[in-house]
Amino acid sequence: MKKIKVASIWCESCSGCHMSILDMDERLVELINKGLELNATPITDLKVPDDDTDIGIIEGAVATDHHEEEVKMMREKCKFIVAIGDCAVFGGIVTMRNYVPLNELLKRGYIETESTVDGKIPTSPELGKHLPKVKAVNEVIKVDYYIPGCPPSADAIYHVLKEILEGKTPVLTGELLKYE
Amino acid sequence: MEKIKIKINDNEVEVEQGKTILQVAKELNLHIPTLCYLEPLSPQGACRLCLVEDRGKLVTSCTTPVAPNMDIKLDTPNVVNSRKLILQLLFTERNHYCMYCEQSGNCELQNLGYEFGLDHFEFSTYEKKFSIDNSHDYIIMDPNRCVLCRRCVRACSELAGHFVLGEMNRGIETLIIADMNVPLGESSCTSCGLCAQVCPTGAIVDKRSVYLGKDVQTDIIYSNCNECAVGCGTKVYKKKNSNFIVKIYGDMDSEINGGVLCKIGRFSALFDEKPRVISSKIKDDFGFRKLDSDKIMKLISEKMDELYVYVDGSLFNEELELIKSIFKDKVYSLYPNEPQIPSNVTLNDLKNANEFIVIGVDLNREFGVIGSFVKRKVLGGDGKLAVFDSNFNSLAQISHYTFNLNELKDGLEKLKEFKSPIVIYKELPKDIIEILKGKENLKYLWLPPETNSIGLNKLNIKHEIKNSKTILFFGENIEALKNFDKNTFIIAFTPYEPEDLLRRANVIVGISNGFERDGTFYNLDGKLLKKEKILSPKFETLDLKKFLNEFKNVSLVK
Repeated sequence: MKKIKVASIWCESCSGCHMSILDMDERLVELINKGLELNATPITDLKVPDDDTDIGIIEGAVATDHHEEEVKMMREKCKFIVAIGDCAVFGGIVTMRNYVPLNELLKRGYIETESTVDGKIPTSPELGKHLPKVKAVNEVIKVDYYIPGCPPSADAIYHVLKEILEGKTPVLTGELLKYE
Repeated sequence: MEKIKIKINDNEVEVEQGKTILQVAKELNLHIPTLCYLEPLSPQGACRLCLVEDRGKLVTSCTTPVAPNMDIKLDTPNVVNSRKLILQLLFTERNHYCMYCEQSGNCELQNLGYEFGLDHFEFSTYEKKFSIDNSHDYIIMDPNRCVLCRRCVRACSELAGHFVLGEMNRGIETLIIADMNVPLGESSCTSCGLCAQVCPTGAIVDKRSVYLGKDVQTDIIYSNCNECAVGCGTKVYKKKNSNFIVKIYGDMDSEINGGVLCKIGRFSALFDEKPRVISSKIKDDFGFRKLDSDKIMKLISEKMDELYVYVDGSLFNEELELIKSIFKDKVYSLYPNEPQIPSNVTLNDLKNANEFIVIGVDLNREFGVIGSFVKRKVLGGDGKLAVFDSNFNSLAQISHYTFNLNELKDGLEKLKEFKSPIVIYKELPKDIIEILKGKENLKYLWLPPETNSIGLNKLNIKHEIKNSKTILFFGENIEALKNFDKNTFIIAFTPYEPEDLLRRANVIVGISNGFERDGTFYNLDGKLLKKEKILSPKFETLDLKKFLNEFKNVSLVK
């Protein structure tokens, strides 16, 4: 049986969508029995997917230059990109920061919060630099399939993965399509 | 109406000329998605979602009348793709992230997104932020969620007649504004709340209901409002498995109000925080003591020979009939309830009339829906209004003639262009009534001072104040109780407990308020209307009907 390699990353988000992936419970085993192979994912704790990965799942919006690099890498290594969750699909809750200038936002977050004493804005070169605006994944790379929802239900993720494994084009309708 | 033949989805149908494509499709049970279209409002064609194809050309079905030889197709790829594109544009214009919107789940834009399977934004979003207007007591306006459908603007003028909302600027910068761009709370808004009811998205929401859950979590109960004698049709949203009301909407199909409500009917009832009588109690030298219903019955039976019974217009017909059957001719109304000049027009006549004389009543404050009917004619341009009042009257701002009440005689002389105007009044001094009676061309609409004044009349319960040793009072408005002699023993059956009552009454019995019991009442047209029981009683209140029935049986045995 041909294996289908799946990699996943999360960018600017809460990891709730990965929780939803795990929420497939025993159906995850069913998918693995059908040929799904988890490659580099936060669950398997590998950072870089193989070059011949079939499906790349991206959770979260693109908020820093690191995220930008990561999603571009995913695009290069994966045949299909699936954006899951409102953050990856629309930009989601993190786009709230687009309505406030970046420097004001960092000042408020790191210095002016009521509980902060002697705060400072982190400047370590290891950290990604914030982009001026948070973007949805499809504003940076081409996305093949979308699963909106915050988080998308395990049913929706299962439906999409199963359809891809069976060689069909996944289409979300009815209860599986939710924006919140 | 003349019939013509057109084709819809390749089927030949006979339709009435003058109807729009959308109306025809609805009659044939064919679905066309709409957003800016709403039944009683005039169609505007603002959102373009109702596009259909006619001989290869896209037309908006809500504004295009049917014409001979039309060949309409509802679901061609061209139509569906156009609708999808329009939805994409609507979603990316302004902030339509469902995640941070309280209206998510009740939103017509969101539902359309689901219907057309929109799973992402095709275009990058427009990121300008508009400021939110939170100045109003009950309503929040958030232009960031607005799809510029103008339902609110049309509802505010065509239906509610207030003409408060309008538009400013052009294109994507268009804003819905109140008056000449003042905060809504400082505008001429009368808080009727219709804009929040018709808004398809979260752009205009009412502050209370928006955080109390979605429509699917509520039971909808159709009932008539019993706050005044108009008796508007309402849709009450009650939270499932709970004992509170989420919101009250006007019933768009109601013959009485057609969806319009006033501030009192829509909001005040929900913010009712008057202190309630939480149990039954009797006053003695040491203050109040609790009393059960058997003791109350005994007490009334003992005093049966020396008492008079007073009621007010807050009671329903069933309760009044019971009281009348027990206490017979000893029942009187605490307040005047007969028209000084009887009405000879109905609400429907009022809606179609063009000449109005409002005397001594501020419609915006007391009878908001009647005010809406008058204002939509007057501000709409085909109505004339004269106001006579000795106090401040908010209708004076829009009236063509304004007089003091004591100028009535001369004033009426000056209204030459009024052919047969409708006089709208509530309660007037005797001399004013005499002047009015002398005029022959006037028609009258009497606004009963209490909800069920007409019911009191029909049961022949007259207003008369008689002093006696004991007085039994049933009703909500205890104001006039203080006019009785100090030595009178007062037993009051009432839902609310203002301080006056505490000082004056000897026995206070808590009964359910209007939302906690059901019954029928007559509105000002004499129409029999039903108020449904929506909430279960909150305190140890007495079920008035049950109590009266029991008392009736006990007194019959004797």
